[in-house]
Amino acid sequence: MQNFLQILVSGISVGMIYGVIAFGYQLTFATSKTLNFGQGEALTLGALVGFTTVNFLIGMSLGTFWAYILALPLVFAFGLVQGSIVELLGVRQATKIKSEAGWIMATIALGIIFKNIAENVWGKDPLKFPSPVSEAPLTIGGVNVRPMEIIIVVGALAMMLAVELFNRRSIYGKAVVATSNDRDAAGLMGINTSRVITFSYALSSLSAALAGVLIAPITLTGANMGAALGLKAFAVAIIGGLSSGLGVVVGGLILGITESLTGFYFDTGYKDVPGLILLLLVLSFKPAGLFGKAAIKKV
Amino acid sequence: MLEIKNLVAGYGKVRVLNEISISVPAGQLVTLIGSNGAGKTTTLRAVSGMIKPEGGEILLNGRNIAGLASHDITRLGMAHSPEGRKVFSTLSVTDNLLLGAYPRLTKMRPKGDVDADLERMFDLFPRLRERREQLAGTLSGGEQQMLAMARALMLQPEVLLLDEPSMGLAPRLVEEVFATIKRLKAEKITMLLVEQFAAAALEVADYGYVMENGRLAGQGPADKLKNDPAVRAAYLGTGS
Ligand SMILES: Nc1ncnc2c1ncn2[C@@H]1O[C@H](COP(=O)(O)OP(=O)(O)OP(=O)(O)O)[C@@H](O)[C@H]1O
Ligand SMILES: [Mg+2]
Repeated sequence: MQNFLQILVSGISVGMIYGVIAFGYQLTFATSKTLNFGQGEALTLGALVGFTTVNFLIGMSLGTFWAYILALPLVFAFGLVQGSIVELLGVRQATKIKSEAGWIMATIALGIIFKNIAENVWGKDPLKFPSPVSEAPLTIGGVNVRPMEIIIVVGALAMMLAVELFNRRSIYGKAVVATSNDRDAAGLMGINTSRVITFSYALSSLSAALAGVLIAPITLTGANMGAALGLKAFAVAIIGGLSSGLGVVVGGLILGITESLTGFYFDTGYKDVPGLILLLLVLSFKPAGLFGKAAIKKV
Repeated sequence: MLEIKNLVAGYGKVRVLNEISISVPAGQLVTLIGSNGAGKTTTLRAVSGMIKPEGGEILLNGRNIAGLASHDITRLGMAHSPEGRKVFSTLSVTDNLLLGAYPRLTKMRPKGDVDADLERMFDLFPRLRERREQLAGTLSGGEQQMLAMARALMLQPEVLLLDEPSMGLAPRLVEEVFATIKRLKAEKITMLLVEQFAAAALEVADYGYVMENGRLAGQGPADKLKNDPAVRAAYLGTGS
């Protein structure tokens, strides 16, 4: 039982990371029916920019915790810019020439370029990201929880909540929802829908960058850290439904927990298998995702 | 006022409109009638920038807006209640109305009193007040139609384009819609109205245009057109 709870805890934090990245896929899919297949690389770059900034601030004799907090705005700003570049240089050009799959190629290509940049700037070797909180686990009810794991869950939920509040409360957020509902009608309201789509790409990369700096302290940071995460989060987005806000959290948790269960009870080597089987099952039986239909009306 | 000169437009390589010229003087209600597929909706779409005109001029208060993006045209004061309503189904009635005032709420048009206008819309369409928190997608067709009209009015437009506001409504609701249009006319709102109920449209309008196969087939003051034998035969039913 204790073992099981322990596994649950580590599954939850990884699952929330998948959830945030998948949330980013949803953001652009909602407004433009396109996705950034370089989402994993957006995560990588976010983590690496965070790495450099945190180390710089520590060099300025700031404590690791405050260095981490102060680095966040820069990481977010970087994510916004990086996402805008993907939309303006890749997606928009491809949709302009009415190429059906052009945006897929464009976002994959940009992802590869970003990964190359990461390799050249930060090298190919994994780096140790300074942990903002103690790495010694807390014992809660006999279960070991790393403080960073708590921060991951809180940070991920805060991000999604903030976007949800923005969409519901502000007129600009409503303009984003309107664009997702009906782009032509949104244009008739005076909404510059191209700009809304660029913004959703910016926000999508911001989520990935946040996921990057959340997971970096408990894993190794480097040019290759994002690829597998981006792919699994894609599976989560499909499982949870590309149009359902809540679905990605549940989808992320399902994948994160099954992975750590398989890793513990079978073999770490097979850790990736159940998630992919789940993905295949969902694709064949509920292509809109486990929560796709019901949530469409609620968002 | 709105002045359409020699408008040419279509979809891809298919040309639908041939040299259409329509004038909507300030404070007047002009109607565009014609059979299905004549090109009425296409005309309104070209005017509001939903499709790019291939030729001609569209003057809004003297300024040529042909070729501008639809959001820029809206910001210049053109409101369009489109065919098929196109309400934002996952947003509430109130949010739909607020989005109608988007340029006002984002400093792209004079703000005025948005809350007062919201109340005015609820006075004009009491059914919307009852359902203000309801998601627009769950409204009945008639209610959605009223919402689309009210949403367009929230812009405080210089010119209002209405595409078949009575489409799919029960006869009593159709009467209500026309009563509302009369009230808007009394408020001197400049309107271009596309209607399938040609008789009712000519009853409220100042001036009318008849469209056939993408061309104008006739025009004149509404009360003249109403009594024109050819128009009566083609669009009003011979008996009436
Ligand atoms: N999106 C489109 N793509 C291609 N052709 C279109 C499109 N929309 C309309 N058309 C064509 O343009 C012509 C004019 O259509 P339009 O919708 O303007 O007619 P309408 O006068 O509004 O008719 P109705 O009274 O049925 O609404 C029709 O022949 C129609 O088939
Ligand atoms: Mg039509």
